[in-house]
Amino acid sequence: MADRVTKEDLMRYMDGEMPPEQRARLDTELERSTELKRELAIFRAMRTDFQGLSFDPGTYHKSVWDKVNASVTRPIGWVLVVVGIIVWTAYGGYLFTTSPANAWEKLATGAIVIGILTLLASVIWERYQDWGVDPYKDIHR
Amino acid sequence: MQPELERELIRKCKIGDTRFYEPLVRAYEPSGLRLAVAMMGNTEDAQDALQEAFVKSYRSLHRFDLRQPFGPWFFQILRNQCRDMLRSRQARFKMETLDERLEARPASSEKGPERAHQRTAARETLWLGLEQIGDEHREILVLKELEGFRYSEIAQILEIPEGTVASRLYHARHALKDALVEQGVEYP
Repeated sequence: MADRVTKEDLMRYMDGEMPPEQRARLDTELERSTELKRELAIFRAMRTDFQGLSFDPGTYHKSVWDKVNASVTRPIGWVLVVVGIIVWTAYGGYLFTTSPANAWEKLATGAIVIGILTLLASVIWERYQDWGVDPYKDIHR
Repeated sequence: MQPELERELIRKCKIGDTRFYEPLVRAYEPSGLRLAVAMMGNTEDAQDALQEAFVKSYRSLHRFDLRQPFGPWFFQILRNQCRDMLRSRQARFKMETLDERLEARPASSEKGPERAHQRTAARETLWLGLEQIGDEHREILVLKELEGFRYSEIAQILEIPEGTVASRLYHARHALKDALVEQGVEYP
């Protein structure tokens, strides 16, 4: 490469990132140096090859929008569900404790509710532990 | 997409209306996929990276400066996503499905059929060359040659000083040339 032209200069020249006055200077240098001209020609030929490659995503793939949309809206859905459950549970608990029903009725209902929740939690926990050691968990159907 | 329209869509997305994110996704999907395929080497991984990058950019929109264009900012996220995936999966750039997806356009016959054939062969081996030159060289070449980003935009996407772009491009082009020459491609 000619002494007065750096590799950065050559790139800026080729990519149109050089001010006009510097460009004129490099034009002169290019006229003088065959080596520089050859290097530029090689890079330009490579660019042509690069741009000759066409990749047409439209023909081959489905838009990712549906999955993106699901991912960005799902957390909002979960937050709303959890908030709703908390509010209803708190309100139900309040009604339950302040209702004029007999103590034994409250006790029996409370036992059923706690029993169901305990069973549900244990099943979920069991499934979660099984999933943790499942060797096929990363395999998609 | 018009910059003004783009800004308006982002403004609406920032308020939390996901409907306005769809035109942005659709506008940047083709170029995003091109970059992701070039970085990952196969369409499946590229689509995963692209999807994740769109989700991450939506969640980071509150940090997005509306005076800046969306493209380079999004490509920065996408590029980081591709790199993370390549790292975490311990995967290399794989050209599994590339051959089926790529169509070499008919070479120009301006300089005779032999020259045209040579150019077509060069295009076919170009992806093989890209596989050899490594992530850093490959990503900057794709951003410049395939997507046509300006140096300032490339600097933003790659998170490097603008002055480094020209030097890195030179080394990437040189590495690619060497890889292609190694495969028997002849340049003038």
